[in-house]
Amino acid sequence: MYSLLKKMINRKQQAPTPFIEKSSKEDITLKKQCITDKLNKTVDIFSHIYSVGKNNDVIFRKFHVQALKKDAALLFINTITDTDHIEEYILKSIQQYSGTSQKVEDIVTTPGIKKVQVIEDVIIEINKGNAALFIDGESVAYILSVSNFQGRGIEKAENEVVVKGPKEAFNEKANTNISLIRKKIKTESLVVESVTVSKRSKNEVYILYLKDIVNEELLSDVKERLCMSDVDSIQNLSMLEQRIEDSTKSLFPTILYTERPDRASSFLEDGYIVLLMDNSPASLVLPATFWSFFHTSEDHYLRFLYGNFTRALRLLAMFITLLISALYIAITNYHAEMLPPDLLLAISSTREIVAFPAVVEVFLMEFAFELIKEAGLRVPSPIGPTIGIVGALILGQAAVQANLVSPIVVIVVALGGLTSFAIGDLALNFAVRLSRFFLIISASLFGLYGLTAMFSIGLFYLVSLRSFGVPYLAPMTPKYTSGKDTLFRRLIFHEMFRPGYLKPQDMKKAGEVSDGKKQG
Amino acid sequence: MKKLLWILKSVIILLLLVMISGCWDQMEVDRKAYVVGIGLDKGKKEKINVTYLISNPEYASQQGGNTNEPATEIITFEANDLITSRNIANSVIAKEISYDMLSVIIVSKQLAKDKNFIRWMYDSTKDREIKRNTAFLVTKEKASSFIEQNEPKLETRPHKYFTLIFEHAGETGLIPRSDLMRYFRITEADGDLFLAALGTNQQTNQERSNGHLEAGEFKIKGKTNKTNLMGSAVFKEGRMIGELSGEETRLSLLLNDTVKSPNYTTTFQDPFNKDYDITAKIIKNKRNNVSMQQMNGKTILNIKVPLTLEVLTDHSMVNYAKNKEKRNQLKRYFTTKITEKLNKLVIKTQKDFKGQPFGWSLQGRKYFLTVDEYEKYDWMKSYPNMEVNMSVEIRFGEFGRQTDLPKIKQVRD
Amino acid sequence: MERSKGKIATREFIAIVILTIGAKMTDDTPAILYEKFSNAAWMAIIIIGIFSVIPIWLLINVFNTYKEKNLIEIVLYLLGKPFGYFVLFCLLVIGSVAITIDSSIYTDIVGTMYFTETPTIVLYAILMATCAFGAKRGLEQIGSFAWSILLWIKLSLFLALLLTFFQGKLDFIFPLFGRGVDEIMHGGISNLSICADFLFLTLIVPFAVNHAEFKKAIWISLCIVTVELAIALIAFVALFDYEPVKMLNYPFHEAIRYIRLEFLPNIEALFFPFWLLALFIRFSFYLYLIALLFGGLFKIKDFEYLIPSLATLFVLLGVIPENPTFSIFHFRDPFLKIVTPVFLLLPCLLWVMSKIKGDIKV
Repeated sequence: MYSLLKKMINRKQQAPTPFIEKSSKEDITLKKQCITDKLNKTVDIFSHIYSVGKNNDVIFRKFHVQALKKDAALLFINTITDTDHIEEYILKSIQQYSGTSQKVEDIVTTPGIKKVQVIEDVIIEINKGNAALFIDGESVAYILSVSNFQGRGIEKAENEVVVKGPKEAFNEKANTNISLIRKKIKTESLVVESVTVSKRSKNEVYILYLKDIVNEELLSDVKERLCMSDVDSIQNLSMLEQRIEDSTKSLFPTILYTERPDRASSFLEDGYIVLLMDNSPASLVLPATFWSFFHTSEDHYLRFLYGNFTRALRLLAMFITLLISALYIAITNYHAEMLPPDLLLAISSTREIVAFPAVVEVFLMEFAFELIKEAGLRVPSPIGPTIGIVGALILGQAAVQANLVSPIVVIVVALGGLTSFAIGDLALNFAVRLSRFFLIISASLFGLYGLTAMFSIGLFYLVSLRSFGVPYLAPMTPKYTSGKDTLFRRLIFHEMFRPGYLKPQDMKKAGEVSDGKKQG
Repeated sequence: MKKLLWILKSVIILLLLVMISGCWDQMEVDRKAYVVGIGLDKGKKEKINVTYLISNPEYASQQGGNTNEPATEIITFEANDLITSRNIANSVIAKEISYDMLSVIIVSKQLAKDKNFIRWMYDSTKDREIKRNTAFLVTKEKASSFIEQNEPKLETRPHKYFTLIFEHAGETGLIPRSDLMRYFRITEADGDLFLAALGTNQQTNQERSNGHLEAGEFKIKGKTNKTNLMGSAVFKEGRMIGELSGEETRLSLLLNDTVKSPNYTTTFQDPFNKDYDITAKIIKNKRNNVSMQQMNGKTILNIKVPLTLEVLTDHSMVNYAKNKEKRNQLKRYFTTKITEKLNKLVIKTQKDFKGQPFGWSLQGRKYFLTVDEYEKYDWMKSYPNMEVNMSVEIRFGEFGRQTDLPKIKQVRD
Repeated sequence: MERSKGKIATREFIAIVILTIGAKMTDDTPAILYEKFSNAAWMAIIIIGIFSVIPIWLLINVFNTYKEKNLIEIVLYLLGKPFGYFVLFCLLVIGSVAITIDSSIYTDIVGTMYFTETPTIVLYAILMATCAFGAKRGLEQIGSFAWSILLWIKLSLFLALLLTFFQGKLDFIFPLFGRGVDEIMHGGISNLSICADFLFLTLIVPFAVNHAEFKKAIWISLCIVTVELAIALIAFVALFDYEPVKMLNYPFHEAIRYIRLEFLPNIEALFFPFWLLALFIRFSFYLYLIALLFGGLFKIKDFEYLIPSLATLFVLLGVIPENPTFSIFHFRDPFLKIVTPVFLLLPCLLWVMSKIKGDIKV
């Protein structure tokens, strides 16, 4: 039987047909050349590269520079540049220049200016929204920074909502995001390095770290992984995450994706590394342990007891989501004597008129619930409320009345669904929701025995996960010196150390405070 | 990718395998018939008659609440033992017999007195689903007729009825706490007698004063269940040898430290006015002091019973709270009265049962260093010859909610 | 940032030891002890704990002398090649027999107490598959696993024992000395092998982060395990009395079937999963140890790859006996007796040899 199945599955694996590709050797050699001092030739080359004329927003402005007595040409893409700036700081200042200097740097008044010789480099800069100034007789291009990409402004965090704490979130502009972080960490040791990670689209990744805290080995590891990818385009951080994470097939996430600048900067201060990118309204924090997904920033903004109360609630919610359906199946199918007699009779009487076995019932409801979640997410907002009505009415009421499922299963699944929302992090949420199905299957096969065995396998798997070499459950196990912020957090005075598993250059982040002092 | 495919394939195959073979211990809750009580009677020769009291889940539930089905189903049949009976029952009962909710095992007096009774009892240790905390009840009539005629009016679900009646009758001390675990433990230790709850739903016409009643002698009128649980059946070495009345059961519980002692109200003749009775609540919250002495080959047991008494009625209007002398007089009266009763009970156990149900062997064990010495002494055999010195220490608690009473003459004036 | 080195810290080590040896109170070990010592079994276990100090102390002394060497290397070094190999082979056989007996007993517990209909081989296969999966992850992971669930297991155990005490009578531990003081002393020494696991524990000495701490960890865990076992043995007697408790195969499981918690009349399923977790740790760790010993003996470097095949082997061996309830029972008792001298003599031998070689200076 196995071989038959194997054949069926393997049948479609055939040798791939070779691609027919057009050679781009010519283009590449052209781009490797330097700029000549003949303006006309330069203009021709760039007109060819940018298909000026066909390409609507590429503008080649030619003019005469009075001060130098030379012809010049300005090349830019007007949709990603600030045309006001070009007019104000370049064209106007060149035309109205009355000084005696012959240097372009003195004539043009833009804040950023640099000289570039290779055609390829010029192209990169222009694609970034800068303007290139070519002057007849000079074999360099002056790159003037006038870029202005369009994007939305800073808005409230939508996915990681807090009641008490900063509300601003990252947006799609890396510059804004860096600015948001710099606003929180005002130190010269905050370094923003950039690395180009894709070949064609030239996507840039900004690596942020505190140079006197971060572990050098970790940093070079991250850089190495970033440079490894051989790909034309990496649009944003979510794509990047999948390329650099430890194990791509793992059920559990190993890199934290957060849209809150306050969270990112508090991780930075602890010695973590933060990655930013254009087009991603978020940041990646690495390495990430289980706890960084389990925590929210509000846990620390709230007072000690309140914060820990929410932690306890979340922990409970996580276990309920994970186990409740599986436990229901295990107990009703294998260990019915465990139920209090009245409950046992109640369940038995409602099940009597239901057609399906309990397992099918639970799967039916779980599937329906996941469907409501997914559909509710994708549905256009004007018809959003319908989902709620349809879901609640059909699943809650009608399914029970039609004897499709018993009411207790509705309660069990609804409780599991509700508690799953208490896990804020999307990745962890998915991980828990998916592992729940494994548990349900094993519980339906071998009751509590199967359930516990599957749980153990899951836990074994969890403790063997690594994120950039850091054990997934650190610092709970194995033990490291740290702020001991795991399941519950300590008093803020007692969180004196940075996480030891990162091996930061500076371990201590706060001085000791005696009890008397902090009371005063 | 290949690895993922492999995992996928093996998961599919595993699922198929399991679906084909089915799950061994799996059983849906609605496919079981929940036996709440098992009745055991003597059958022909070495067989027993087993009665199953099966609870109907649909009765009184929200969904199937409007059902016309009765609350219980009762079947009686002959079987060799408790294990085979499960399978035989399925020729009548459609659902699989389950002991998940088993809360009581009911045995007729006739079977309990049989010399082979203990053999059937040990069947229950073999079955996985029978737990040792299942209650144990002896009935005067046949267990099957007891179950059939037991018609609780308010607690129509049988498990509720049995749980509640054992709990509350046990609290007032009219029946002892009896479960399978105690039965086995006491039988195997062979130092004490085991007391099981005694019940019946037949009324007898014997006249006795309140409290000295045995099961069936308590006259009740009105529309209610005829069943009453009162008194206890005495088991020696796993076999029933006698009975104790409700009053005696209460007293035996006062002497027994291995169970939670009951707090109950009882009546005494008023020492100051013979026409009236005094109602007192007896509370025992300290442990007895049992000490053992060996004197010229004779064993002397000294037992101190500390009791707290709350005098709740005062029909002779003596006003005990205010009158110290009367109070002392009352205390002396109670002390002698209770000591008398206790002594009577002890003599009865020594003479009639040749063993004691008070758990004293447990206290006696402290006087032996090794198990061998203790077993050689043989508590059960030595007990009838022991000299038991009973001393009761009474402390008064409160005298009702309102301690003062008006002078009767003033009121009548 | 630290790369994982497969080392194991003190608390993870203690967690493993407490769970693996502490699990003995839930199998038939109490039944064996009650059989011999009646209600004084708790005293016997304390005696066993005290006497175990000697071999363990000797072992630790030897290990202190040869830091960075594990049991295999030390045995080979001290006893010479042929004899050393023979001793190690004996240890391997003892370990394999122990794991086979234990696992078939635990499977029997699951089979008779909870899953009566399911075929033994299926239960066995699940147990060993889970443990092989865990053992293959490595020692550090087993330690982490143990530590992360230690609290919950101990809480559930504590609850079970507390309820047992409340529903039992402490008076049952009298007559105090059970079958007599002599019996306790003699029997205690001849059953020393209950703590023989400590001998095997020394296999993982080179994996300990810190030697001084390792020493401390062994003493701490010995104390905890002894006290825990003694309390459990008292609790079972307090619930069942000494005569009935002898008749129970698995007192722990009978106890959790009897106790009740307010509105929940049957709470055994509440303790069952936690007990299973401890079980999985226990056999993951044993499998790892056996694989380590096997690898060391036959010079296999990547011994982790042996684990699945070893697990399969143990399953096949374990299902051979007709019925573990009686065949294993009768096999186990003499086995414990045979292991005792090994546990006593091997450390002495090592110590003496080390002394002769002049490496230990006292």
